[in-house]
Amino acid sequence: MHISINDVRYPLDSAITVEQLLKQHAPEHTGLAVAINNTVLAKRLWPQYQLQPDDAVQLFQIVTGG
Amino acid sequence: MLHIADKSFSSRLLLGSGKFANPGLMQQAIQASGCQLVTLALKRLQWEQPQDDLLNPLREMNIQLLPNTSGAKTAKEAIFAAELAREALQTNWLKLEIHPDPRYLMPDPIETLLAAEQLVKLGFVVLPYCSADPVLCKRLEQVGCAAVMPLGAAIGSNQGLQTRAMLEIIIEQATVPVIIDAGLGAPSHAAAAMELGASAVLVNTAIAASQDPVAMASAFAQSVSAGRTAYNAGLATTQPHATASSPLTDFLAAL
Repeated sequence: MHISINDVRYPLDSAITVEQLLKQHAPEHTGLAVAINNTVLAKRLWPQYQLQPDDAVQLFQIVTGG
Repeated sequence: MLHIADKSFSSRLLLGSGKFANPGLMQQAIQASGCQLVTLALKRLQWEQPQDDLLNPLREMNIQLLPNTSGAKTAKEAIFAAELAREALQTNWLKLEIHPDPRYLMPDPIETLLAAEQLVKLGFVVLPYCSADPVLCKRLEQVGCAAVMPLGAAIGSNQGLQTRAMLEIIIEQATVPVIIDAGLGAPSHAAAAMELGASAVLVNTAIAASQDPVAMASAFAQSVSAGRTAYNAGLATTQPHATASSPLTDFLAAL
């Protein structure tokens, strides 16, 4: 199956959770937020949410700003 | 003490974390400023790039993190950004900012009010960046904002209190903290804002873009403190004519 992450299409060999996805792609990053198909996914749901085919995942991070 | 929602702060200086040359310098400036509230922003994750650890040093300094919604052009976008920020930082505190115009970054008053009303209902502690409009500030207060953040001048312009007359009305009418945000380019601007009776000021560019951000942060802290002390002491009234400070007696008349 395929998903998109920040508008780039990625293949997935097997179903994984959002938490697993973040461990693979952004293990060192802090201050992350996730939206799936334009809906914000609460952090407490990251371990449970299984990515579905064609899910559009948007990943965000906290940065400096005024 | 500065009281916002359910928290109290001994410092009346808020810092923006943008534009510093590096995170270490930002942390030193925050320390020198004594501030307890620091703004942050959101952007799309770029996982290919290594990330400096921004958050842990701030948390170790016991700083209240205040994410903003910069980049939002509408109320809908701001609410989405707010929900992301809440998850990213696990805080319901929010600096609401909606500025669709990239040249002057003027806040959109209509979208800001719409978003503020919704965000308060969603449980956010909303601190809206807004134009120095007394009517708008009152409306923002009425929909439940925890403070209002009217601008002194355009973001990053360093022009000082261009909106001074309106700020005076806002401060006079407010029953929530008034935090002067944007445009403060020198410690004297911050002192002037505090002398007017502002509850606090938020500074970013003037410190981060200074040649010595740490020293400038300290200078702003002193000016905020001096301005507040002067406000509490009560400024002498201005007069249209001279009033003598020494006795004008005729003791030299015999010469």
